[in-house]
Amino acid sequence: MERSTKTVKRRKGMLGVLALVAVVAGLCWSLLVAPPDAYQGEVQRIMYLHLPSILTAYLSYFLVFIGSGMYLWKRDNKDDLLAHAAAELGVLFTALTIIEGSIWGKPTWGVWWTWDARLTLTAILLLIYAGYLMLRSSIEDEQRAASAAAILGILGFLDIPLIHMSVYWWRTLHQPPSILRPDKAPWENVHPAMLTALTISFVGFLLLYFYLLSLRYRVGEMRQEIKALRLERGV
Amino acid sequence: MTLLRQAYLLLRKDLLLEWRRRDSLLTMFFFGTLLLFVFHFAFDMPPDKVVELAPALLWLAFLFTGTLGLAQLFQAERDNHCLDALLLSPLDRGALFLAKSAFNLILMLLVESVVIPLFWILFNLGSWNLLPQLFLVTLLGTLGFCVLGTITAAITLRARARELLLPLVLFPLMIPVILATIRCMEMVLRTGSFGDAIAWLRLLIGFDVIFLTIGVLIFDWVIES
Amino acid sequence: MGAWGYVSLAYGIVCGVILMYWFLLKRRYNAAEAELNRLRSSEAAANHDKS
Repeated sequence: MERSTKTVKRRKGMLGVLALVAVVAGLCWSLLVAPPDAYQGEVQRIMYLHLPSILTAYLSYFLVFIGSGMYLWKRDNKDDLLAHAAAELGVLFTALTIIEGSIWGKPTWGVWWTWDARLTLTAILLLIYAGYLMLRSSIEDEQRAASAAAILGILGFLDIPLIHMSVYWWRTLHQPPSILRPDKAPWENVHPAMLTALTISFVGFLLLYFYLLSLRYRVGEMRQEIKALRLERGV
Repeated sequence: MTLLRQAYLLLRKDLLLEWRRRDSLLTMFFFGTLLLFVFHFAFDMPPDKVVELAPALLWLAFLFTGTLGLAQLFQAERDNHCLDALLLSPLDRGALFLAKSAFNLILMLLVESVVIPLFWILFNLGSWNLLPQLFLVTLLGTLGFCVLGTITAAITLRARARELLLPLVLFPLMIPVILATIRCMEMVLRTGSFGDAIAWLRLLIGFDVIFLTIGVLIFDWVIES
Repeated sequence: MGAWGYVSLAYGIVCGVILMYWFLLKRRYNAAEAELNRLRSSEAAANHDKS
């Protein structure tokens, strides 16, 4: 029992180091190697943060969805732990996405905030999953909190495509509703060096995400065990 | 007993209870009207502006009024521990969901059928002939609200500060409905027909169908003792 | 603020927030681990006493 936890810990540590290496590599490529954009100049480098952040957030919400569904089906606490951890990280990365988007927007559009489709969508996501976390913390009973949150985790994720559609249509009033893409898909006419920087950054974010997720998951697991032990003792 | 029959029986019970005291209905009605008054003072609008803002103001009023109704939705069951009794009976939970959604829908439609004409009178809007189309949009939008709202009301049932948590959780999820209904109504008021806004109508219908189905399937897990 | 100013602001905030979260998470982790070990060892001691 002791040896396996030590192996798990060492693997986590290795993941952390790997994440660090990838992140540093991503930083180097994003800030030094990749060329500045023809139109936006240096400011465009924020893309190497913005895109990986939002993709990581979506991955997180997908994990919340899976964890929630599995929990309702099998009632295994591990799934609920995953959902909770993923929701917390999802909120973190979504908040970062909004901040990055806002900072990118200031020199590009001249304002710190605009109600364009992408920023609005990200803000709505933040609201939904911040609500998830608040719901969890406001229900006393652990089981009920887990069930309630799981329902929300499923509802929220299934609503995302509908929210996407409605916000994009709203923001592109005079175009036919079949056009659902964001204003500029970043992988069109992208310089290969930029693509490399983007890929490395994304890998870095992904590794970092899974490292943080494993830590957060373990914290949840330990807390559960502590509660169980305390209950046993009548402490 | 089939799902629909169970739902019908539950719905009848709630309607009977409501008919006897009518407190939810009256509160919602007065609150909706009050909001219209407040909007009139808050938004000092010239007549041409009113037509532009009418759908948004109406929907804001209905959103808040509906939230009031949702907060009351499971009140009777809570107060007398009827919820436990219901859960022990061999009822399909999906039937409970349908009944509660339908109940709130009926209440809201009753309120809306009075508030909308009242709004038209108070704000001196013409275009009475457009009301049928507007009512269709209102029906679909209110259905979406009731369906999502019932699920949300059920999951926040045991939460602290649930009156605050319910709109907090519900409103972001409602954004497609809010956008679709207001844009549809704007189009109808502006051009007299749906036109391009048909796409919004389809989105609304899709939203309603999706979450109605999910609600029926998932309600087993929503209400638990 | 020049272009590099915005870039450093963005990168700086992201690094700062992630580092802070990681730090706080580590603290929660260590606290939980310590508490868990404490509970486990006192349980072991109690079992040892019984036998």
